[in-house]
Formats: sequence, C-alpha cells, structure tokens
Amino acid sequence: MRATRTGWGLLAPTLIILGFVGIVPFLYVIYIGFFDWDIFAAKVGMVFAGVNNYRRLVFDSEYLAALGRTLQFMIWVVVSELILGFVLAQLLTRNFWGRSVFRTIHALPLVVAPIAVGATWRLFTIPGFGPLPYYLDKWFGIEYSISRYAGHAFTTIVLMDIWHWTPFVTLTLVAGLTSLPKEPFEQALVDGANRWQVFRYLTLPLLTPVLVTTTFIRIMDALRVVDEVWMLTGGGPGTSTRFVGLHIWLVVFPKTAYGYGAAMSLLTLYFTIVLSWLLFIAITQSGRQTAS
Amino acid sequence: MASRPLRKTLSGVGTYLVWIFMSVFTLLPVYWMFVVSARSRVELFGGPNLIQTTFFAENYLKPLSSSTYRGYLMNSLIIATSNAVLVMILAVMATYALSRYRLKGDENIFFWTITNRMAPPAVFLLPLFLLYTRVIKIGEWSLFDTHIGIILVYCVFNLPFAIWLLKGAIDGIPAELDEAALVDGANTFTVIVRIIVPLAAPTIAISGILSWIFAWNEYLFAATLTSVNARTITTGLAEFVTVTGTNWGQMAAMAVVAILPGLLFLSLVQRYIVTGLTFGAVKE
Amino acid sequence: MKARLLTILGLIVVLSMLFTLSGSALAAQPPQQEGEDWWAKAAEPFKGVTIRGVSESTPPSKYAAEVLAPAFEKATGIKVEFETTSWDQMYDKEIKDMEAGTGVYDFVYIEQDIVYAYLDRKFLVNITQMMKDKPELVWPGYNPNAFTSFVDYFKDPATGDLYGVPMEAFIKVYLYRKDLFEDPEIKAAFEKEYGYPLAPAVNHKQYADIAAFFTKWGKDHNMELWGTTVQANTGHPSSFYEMFETILPSFGVYNWGINMDNWKATVANGGTMNSDRAKEAFAFWVGMLKYAPPEATASTWDEVAATFAAGRAAQGWVYGENAAWIATDETRSKVVGKVGVALPPLYAGVLEDKVLRNKGYIGYYDGGAYGIPHSSKNKEAALLWLQWIARPDFQVDWAIKAARVTETATFDDPRLKEFDKKVDGYFTLLKEKGFLFAGAPPFPFHATIREVIAPFIYKGITGEMSTADALDQAAAAVDAELVRLGYGK
Repeated sequence: MRATRTGWGLLAPTLIILGFVGIVPFLYVIYIGFFDWDIFAAKVGMVFAGVNNYRRLVFDSEYLAALGRTLQFMIWVVVSELILGFVLAQLLTRNFWGRSVFRTIHALPLVVAPIAVGATWRLFTIPGFGPLPYYLDKWFGIEYSISRYAGHAFTTIVLMDIWHWTPFVTLTLVAGLTSLPKEPFEQALVDGANRWQVFRYLTLPLLTPVLVTTTFIRIMDALRVVDEVWMLTGGGPGTSTRFVGLHIWLVVFPKTAYGYGAAMSLLTLYFTIVLSWLLFIAITQSGRQTAS
Repeated sequence: MASRPLRKTLSGVGTYLVWIFMSVFTLLPVYWMFVVSARSRVELFGGPNLIQTTFFAENYLKPLSSSTYRGYLMNSLIIATSNAVLVMILAVMATYALSRYRLKGDENIFFWTITNRMAPPAVFLLPLFLLYTRVIKIGEWSLFDTHIGIILVYCVFNLPFAIWLLKGAIDGIPAELDEAALVDGANTFTVIVRIIVPLAAPTIAISGILSWIFAWNEYLFAATLTSVNARTITTGLAEFVTVTGTNWGQMAAMAVVAILPGLLFLSLVQRYIVTGLTFGAVKE
Repeated sequence: MKARLLTILGLIVVLSMLFTLSGSALAAQPPQQEGEDWWAKAAEPFKGVTIRGVSESTPPSKYAAEVLAPAFEKATGIKVEFETTSWDQMYDKEIKDMEAGTGVYDFVYIEQDIVYAYLDRKFLVNITQMMKDKPELVWPGYNPNAFTSFVDYFKDPATGDLYGVPMEAFIKVYLYRKDLFEDPEIKAAFEKEYGYPLAPAVNHKQYADIAAFFTKWGKDHNMELWGTTVQANTGHPSSFYEMFETILPSFGVYNWGINMDNWKATVANGGTMNSDRAKEAFAFWVGMLKYAPPEATASTWDEVAATFAAGRAAQGWVYGENAAWIATDETRSKVVGKVGVALPPLYAGVLEDKVLRNKGYIGYYDGGAYGIPHSSKNKEAALLWLQWIARPDFQVDWAIKAARVTETATFDDPRLKEFDKKVDGYFTLLKEKGFLFAGAPPFPFHATIREVIAPFIYKGITGEMSTADALDQAAAAVDAELVRLGYGK
C-alpha cells in the first residue's frame, strides 16, 4: 500500500464537504431531538426534555401508522421496480433497432422534477377535471376518485412511483450488466449451461453488488418521498397516503414542532438503517448459499 | 420446442411489444403535461379531452419573457452541471483512495456519509438554514442564496451514492495496472486520469447523470436555502401554486421547458453506457 | 444525431436571447404622483440599499413587486427584492428567519391568521413606536386612520400599536349564478317544487334545497351542473378552513369552538367544538357533497374557484379575491357577467347576535399585511417601503387589478364604483357589511392546532369516521395538545 498521505489527500475534499454540510447539521438535529421546541408554544424557546420526545414517539399512533403505510408502499414499489427494471435492463443489453430511442424515452421520467411529476399526475387523475377518471367512467363505468377512496389513492401513488423510478433501476442495472466480465459467461455456454442456470448462478451473484446498491437506494428514497405525494394527494384521503416523510414534513413545517420532528427523523433514520442492515444480511446470506 | 428462427422472431416481437407498451405508459403523463401547457386557463376545465388542436403560446411566452424565470433556468443549469462535475471529480478521487489505500476508519466514514441521504430531509433544513445564514459568514456575505451553497448541499446527497457506485467499478480494476504504470514513472494523478477514468467511464457517467438529475429536480433544499439570486427552476414551479388559483398551464409549460436540458444531457451522455460493452474484452 | 441536438441547443439559446429584448415591455406603468422630493430626501441615507421581502405569488403581491417596487426604487434609490413563493414555503422561511434572527428579510407578508403568533413571539417591529422615534421617516401624507377596520387585526390588542401595514383584504362571500337564478323556467320549476321563490339562500335549509334542485336540474337536462361547491379536499387544510372559518361561524360556533378563557375545546370542559350545533354544521357541510361535482373532495380554494368559473356549480362559498376574476376575466372564466354576490346563509340568530350584541361573526375576513421582522438589518428603508404601498394614489389601480381594498377612501373612487358594477356589488358589500366578518381568532397556536384538527376533518369527509365522532375526537386532541403547549391545564 502506498503512502497513505496521498490517500488522505485524495479523500480530504470529500470529507471536508461532507463533514461541514452533512455531519454538523446532523449532530445539530440529534441535539434538538432532546428538546421540546415548538415555535408557537406558550413557553418560548427550547426546553430540555431528555428522551421524552422518543418516549412520545413510541406511543404516537399517527407516526406508527405512517411508518406502516410507508413500509407497505416501499415493498410494493421496490419489488415492482426491481423486477420491471431488471427485465428491461436485460432487454436493453441486446442490440435491436430503435434501442437508443426506447432507452431515452424510458429515462424521460427521471428528468422530470418530482414536484412536476406530482402536479402532472394530479392533473391527470383529479376527479371532475382529469382525463383518467373521465374516461374510466365513460368507457368502463368505473368510478375512480383518488380524493375519495384510499385504495385508489394508494394505487395511483404506487403507479406514479413506478413510472418515475423504474428507469433509475434500469439504468443502473444496465451499467452493471455491461460491466460484467465476459469469460464466465462464455465458459458457461461452453459447459452447456441453459439460460436459467446462467441467470441463477452467474448473472445474479455477479450482479449482486449493483442490485444491492440499487435496492438500498430505492428503499431509502421510497421511505423519504415527500414532494410527489404532497402534490398528488396531500396525504389524503384522510391520512391514507400520509407516508412518514410527508408526516415529518407536516410536523416540522406547519406544526412547527422542531424538537419532536427532529426526534422523529432520527427514529425513522434508525428504522431505515436497521431495515437496510437486515436486508443486507439476508442478501449476503443467500448469496453465500448460491456461491456454493 | 419451436425452431430457433421462430423463437428468435417471437422474442424479437416480444421485446418490441414490451417496449411499445412501456413507451406509451411513460409518455402518457408527459404528453398530458404538454397538453396542459398548450391550454389557456378557461380551456383547462372545458372537459378532459386528450386531443389538443390549438396551442396557447402565452403559457410559454409569459414566464420565458420574464427575466426572473430565465434566471431560474440559468441557475438550475449552473448548479446542476457544476454539482455533477464536482461530484464526479471528488468521487473518483475519494473512491480511488478508499480502494487503493488502507485508510483507518474508512468503513465508518462511509456509514456517516450515507446517513444524510437516508434520513427524512425535513428536519435538516433548519440546521442548514442556520449554518448558511449565521455560521458560515464573512461580513455581509453568507452561503445563503448562493450557487456554491446549494452545490455543496447537493454534494452531501450525491457524493455517497457516487462513491458507492464507483467502489464496485474501481475495485474491479486490477491494482496491477496501477503498479505497472507507477513503475513506468507515472504519478498518481496520471494513473487516475489515464487508467482509472477510461475503464470506469460508464459508471462515472451514470453517477454524473444521476447527480445532475438530482440537482436539477431537487425542491426542498433549494426552496429553503435560496431566495432571489440562486433560485432554481424547480422552486420556480412551486410559485405557480397560489391562493388565487394555480396557473397549471404556465406551470406545465415551465415544467416542459425544465425537462429539455435534462433530456439533452441524457441523450448526449447515454453513449458512455454503451462503451461499457468493450470493458469486458479489456479484462482479458 | 449530435448535430441535431446541437441545433436544438442553439435554438434555445437564440430564443432566450430574443426574449431578453421583449422582457421589459410587459411591466405596467404606475400612476403619476407629485411630491416625490420628500421620498428622495427621506431616503437619502439609505440610497443604494437593497431590501428583501418574501410574499406569496398572488396578484396583489405581484402588483406590488412589478409596479410599486420599481416606482419606489426610482423615487428613493432603494432597491426592493421580492421573493415570491408558495404559501407554505413563505411561512416556513419567514418563521425560520425571525426565529433564528438571521436578518434575511426586511419585510414579510403577514397573513391575518398568523399575526397573533408573530405578535406573541415579538417577531415584528412596532411600527407606531418606530414612527414616534423617527419622525423624519414618516411621510406627511401617511394617515393611520385611512385604513378600513381590517387594520385592527394588525394592532396589538393591549396597546393599539400597529405592527403591519395592510396590503390586501377580502371577504369570503356567497356566490351564485345570477343567470340561472333569474331564468323564468328555472324559477317556476323551483317554486313549484319547494313552495317559495328562488332567491339567494339566507339560511342553510334554503341552501340545501337550492343545491338539491340544481343538481337534479343538471342531471335531468344533461348539463355539467351541480348545486354547490364544497371545499372538501381530503388531504389539504383548505377543507379545515372552510369548515372552521366559514361554516361553523355561520352556525353560531365561533373561534373554532375553543373557549379562550380556559383554552378548552370539548363541551365537557367548556368549549363548543363538539357541541350539537357544531356537529349539525359538520353534518350539513358533508351532506352538501352529494350535491357537489366529483372534484369537491379534491378541491382547495383553487379548484372551488375553477369549478365555479367553469360553470359547474350554481352556488358556493368563494374567497373574495377569486370572486372578482370569476366575474370579470374572460381568459379564465366561463361565467363572466353571470355572477351574483350575497351574504352567506346563516343560522337563525347569528346575524342578530353580531348586529345587536356584537357577538361572534358571520364569515371570514381574509387578507394580509407587510410587516418588518425584528431581525431586519434595514428597518428604516423597509418602513419607507411600507408607507409607499399605503399611498392613497396607488390604491384604486391596485384594487382594480387585484380586487383588494385596504383603505376606506378607495370605495368612493368613481373608477372602483364602475368596476364594482361588474362584480355585482362585491365592493359595496365589503364596504357596508365587511364589519360582520372577522379574521381568524387570536390564536398564537393557529397553525399547530390546525394540523391537529385537520386529519379528523378529512376522515369525516371520506366517511372513515362519522362527523360526530370526528368532532369529538378532534376536540379531545385539541384539549390535549393545548395543555402540552402550555395553554390551560
């Protein structure tokens, strides 16, 4: 190993930026989480509350419900996007006429701002003014209202997220697939392996790092989603699409409960980390089995 | 078992069917956004028909002729591109360091850097606001409402992901290649630029694209940490939502305009993903 | 491929250059005024200073930003930088700024419903005091009595000192389709079915009858017409606002049903939020949904205005700032010239309570002011700006462009009277009956408690809870939260 000074030197700018703009605010959030800080409370200012915020969170039914909904959402969305993205990535590695056109179209949702995605889908699905409910009613007699029925709202949000983020999965998997070394595959064909065996014992394991990265990113982002959901349903009908990211946003901004919001964020982060850790173990375990 | 040519045709047809279906699914909302941008306010609730024959150009002209909105577009361009470039450079450097050097505590560093990306953003706005307006201050100048301020914040989100992505790619480049070059008299800089970058190009490109896209589309932090000078087009979109009615037409028009640079960027950089096909051969 | 992309890029660059040239022509010119030398002299020490303000991007603010601000800069040399943003962003940023004392903004938009919170936290500069301390900054033409009663909302109740200069004010009125109400065929059919003549509803029973009638009429005649609008968004506080600021007062339940002596909302503890009357109100309002178009459950004030402007509703509760463009702007409304304005329908005794005993109020007085944050670094320059926007010679044009009136003299201007005819006397109503309406109650915890109550309202609308249960649970939650915040025991 070469002079570690060069190593630290290369790493330094990154560390400085992340330290100042990332870690310092993070520490401040941890600090605030131990206080009662409601901007418009009768007792002004920050009042030390120890772990009271966290204790309240454990019994906060709204928060727990939001977590539950978000988990549901996340599972639906990540599984769908992984499967769809993988299939599409496979298709994209083959060469066919019009491939780059399709690839560009497919990646289009990624370059639309989440707030615009929410706004567009809202205009598309709003009862009374939008085409989707109108034509569903006119052609199929189905009453579709995202502001009335929780199920409709949830399904629409899942679809919207799949629409928006599958290209992300596709692109990263394409990068992964194209970076795979060729010899193992050539060797496998020579050895007479069929498509399924190649997939199961070669592609999947070799692709695992990229798959894991992509899955984790999607999980983290799904657990953090705010703008799109806010634009589309505001968390409604009722609170049926109030996911935890949106819930925290509502607690911090309009409700101006800074201390409680900080604690909530940290607790949510903790859950996210635990979840990711469990998944990581699960994947590497199964990976170990496959390798043998 | 059908004959090979037939199976090939079927899979070919299948591929096209899938892609056509996906394209329609993808384009429908975008098409709708375009239709909305072509309608005047009165037309918007004149019935949800999908076909548009007239084009209400004022939706585009009004915001575009305002120097404020042009400024927003410019700011977005500056911020997103600078951020993408910065992230790509720093990420390559950092990942190379993590990959080739044994640095104490690098696992922990990694973990801490990811947490910011994982946590719900809402609460971080307050400490960042305070940091930018109070702490990092030189006389009258502060990081609030500056391009560099936002670029730095976006680094916090994009760098960890870029490093994560690149780690796999750079680890996959055998260290012997570096050794060989160093023996030949090259310094670390040359090794990175001449050997690492070309071989890891597709992954670098992807991380660049995704950083650019993230920076271009980000709303929450840009809205909080900018005011008039560094405001981006995404926060500009939110301005159309008011008490006296959302000007959906203009908002959609600006959203359409906001897609164009992204689309351009995307199509220009896409080729680097394809370059990866030759990567396998080099590894011989 | 590359060449094509470069051509597109080039086109974009050229187009944007073209627009640079056409940009300036669109700014309107402010009216001419005399006595400019006072302003230039008073602003002498602050020449070249830039003051920054945050506001929502509504027409009144836009007018201030596009017309009044450039004129101000011309007269004083002080530059005004206007950050216009969305409703929630504006609140968040100004609160953050004032809370942290960071001095980012020199003037902020104070909506009437948040002013008590700001006063409580001493976020704002006492304008009356500042004018006493620095008479050289007080414009000779400034008259504190020129404002309508709306200015009282921005005064400290204890001292009467002013903390904000009003810049917009509206009342939420009852709009109805004049053309439909005056149609002979419709009138005959209505009278036949209900036994009394068709006229703007004065009580809730009439309102319900009319709503039912028009919904049926719309269906029978294959029209996209329903009997009423309902601002019942199931995920946005706008539904809470219509319920608590418009419907409840019209039923005689005031101040959100919160008892301001002991800070309790439940009937058991002395409040009225879950009283029988309140439950009747909520049930009535949710019951109106069956006479409203499908977008009602997705409607904020935005969609309500759009619904009425599209001709989809025969009556509705609509904010004044929307009423004006619905009645006059043909680029946005399909019912220009067909709009009638009236006082909202009321429960028996509510009007008498207000007129005879000055108790309660009949509806919502909306609006806002500009104030100076305590943390501002350019308070003097900001003070000049606030007096500038209060100039009487600017008021009429501003009123016609943005339908807002904050000074009594504006009502008598002939140009406004002319405009008033087009909006069926909305301004006359505002002038003569404005005192019946009230802004939000003096709660420093306005936004926090709204967030506590809103989810229950949403669930009452969707039917997830009965309306009675929703109010019961909301009131209980409010009691608990108020104690936690330090109000009451």
